[in-house]
Amino acid sequence: MVPYIHARNVNLTFRPPNRAPISALDGFDIDVEEGEFLSIVGPSGCGKSTFLNILLGLLKPDSGEVLMHGKKITGPGSDRAMVFQEFGLLPWRTVQNNIELGLELKRTSAAKRRTVAERLVSLVGLGGFENHYPHELSGGMKQRVGLARALATDPDVLLMDEPFAALDAQTRDLMQVELLRIWREARKTVLFVTHQIDEAIYLSDRVMVMSKRPGRAKKSFIVELTRPREYEMRVTPEFNDLKLEIWNTLKDEIVV
Amino acid sequence: MAETQALDLDLSAVGSARVVTSAFKQRVESMALGTAVIVLLLIIWELLPYFVSMKQGTRLFFTVPSRILATLWQMFASGSIWAPLGVSATAFAIGLALAIAAGLPLGILLGRSNTLNAMFDPFITAFNATPRLVFLPLLMLWLGIGVWSKVAIVFLGALFPLLINTHEGVRNADKLLINVVRSFGAKEWDVARLVVIPNSLPFIVVGLRLAVGRAILGVVVAEFFGAQDGLGVLMVRAASSFNVDVVFAGLIIFAALSLIMTGLVKLVEERMNRWRPQRAATE
Repeated sequence: MVPYIHARNVNLTFRPPNRAPISALDGFDIDVEEGEFLSIVGPSGCGKSTFLNILLGLLKPDSGEVLMHGKKITGPGSDRAMVFQEFGLLPWRTVQNNIELGLELKRTSAAKRRTVAERLVSLVGLGGFENHYPHELSGGMKQRVGLARALATDPDVLLMDEPFAALDAQTRDLMQVELLRIWREARKTVLFVTHQIDEAIYLSDRVMVMSKRPGRAKKSFIVELTRPREYEMRVTPEFNDLKLEIWNTLKDEIVV
Repeated sequence: MAETQALDLDLSAVGSARVVTSAFKQRVESMALGTAVIVLLLIIWELLPYFVSMKQGTRLFFTVPSRILATLWQMFASGSIWAPLGVSATAFAIGLALAIAAGLPLGILLGRSNTLNAMFDPFITAFNATPRLVFLPLLMLWLGIGVWSKVAIVFLGALFPLLINTHEGVRNADKLLINVVRSFGAKEWDVARLVVIPNSLPFIVVGLRLAVGRAILGVVVAEFFGAQDGLGVLMVRAASSFNVDVVFAGLIIFAALSLIMTGLVKLVEERMNRWRPQRAATE
């Protein structure tokens, strides 16, 4: 049986005008199970975000196949949604209207949009902030809106492109806990790109390490920690052994 | 988590409240100072004839605020001002409306399409570099000295600031936000509606402010240069018969119109900018 998300031999080269072409992905393979929480770690510029954008349908690979449900991805679709690193909230829209964005583009009725937004506002813990504008929110709250917006269209797959990278360390830890809680309730397949090995292990069922550019899958690690994850697990020997193992795989790829 | 957020929010609310009060106080103070200077200058002007002796010839070209005010009052009371004012205002309104109707869509199209931009950019740059008032003789020849040559010159004056600013705003639209709405299935029109237009509104408003100025300038110059009717014509005729009071009255009406229009644009701007942070600081 073909896995839920299935990518084989994906190649993509950027050709910026007046500059040398950059090969972002070269023979990239990945398989993701339905409901799996998969993290992708890799050196900067290895094509992690590029692959998420291909899955999202914003970029087209030069060659290779990318399938979801056994069907080729040809463009954006409401079965996938992205949580962006820099939040990407529309600053002229309130929290509520930002969350409703995807539904609005799907021509969902205003009444239905409102119901969905209300449910998500409480799911991500933003009750009372529905009519606030993004500039009135802290970074953590902004990304809660980003998460709620991505969940609003009820996608099967959640793509998260370093969603907590712009947050301070403590907010980040708390957002990880929140994400796990929401993931448990919403039951989505998650592809989570990050630079932090801790974060990847703590959240994921599996961590995939990518090579340096042009990016290809180097090695996958199954995370054996039980669920629900507890913060204390981050200081257990299993956790640290895995962290070291992943780091040893990753460090050869990092070019300073 | 919720607790720390609430705390953060309270602190920032207190901070911004303090900023607002001091900004308000500052505004009142600076307004009072500005008004005081104007009143003082008017008083000096009014009393000038009592301190300075003027020759007969000089006195012919001189007037005082009270007389200008009386003339203005008389013009409005008798209703003689409405016809020329109406003529000028019509040319202004039609020309500006046409410029907005053409400038905004064109600016958006040129900003979104590299091909269109490449085709028309040299033309726009050249046209914009030329003072549009040089077209006035030609326009009068073609369209006559009625309302349409005025409309045309107002249109040409107002079009380019609107077009160029809209274009600039569209070019500067946030790429991330465009990708965000695309990822939710937005088509080109949705991208324009949801991101590009709101994102370029500050640019468009600046363009509108410039356009209003250019439009008024167009009306004035066209009417000075040669027109059948209008506020500018009234002023030129008054000047040639040494009726200084009426010239000043016309000047004040033009100034008041400019102020009102600028105020309206500012009102629109503030309404649209409700979502923007630090409104007090931009004052």
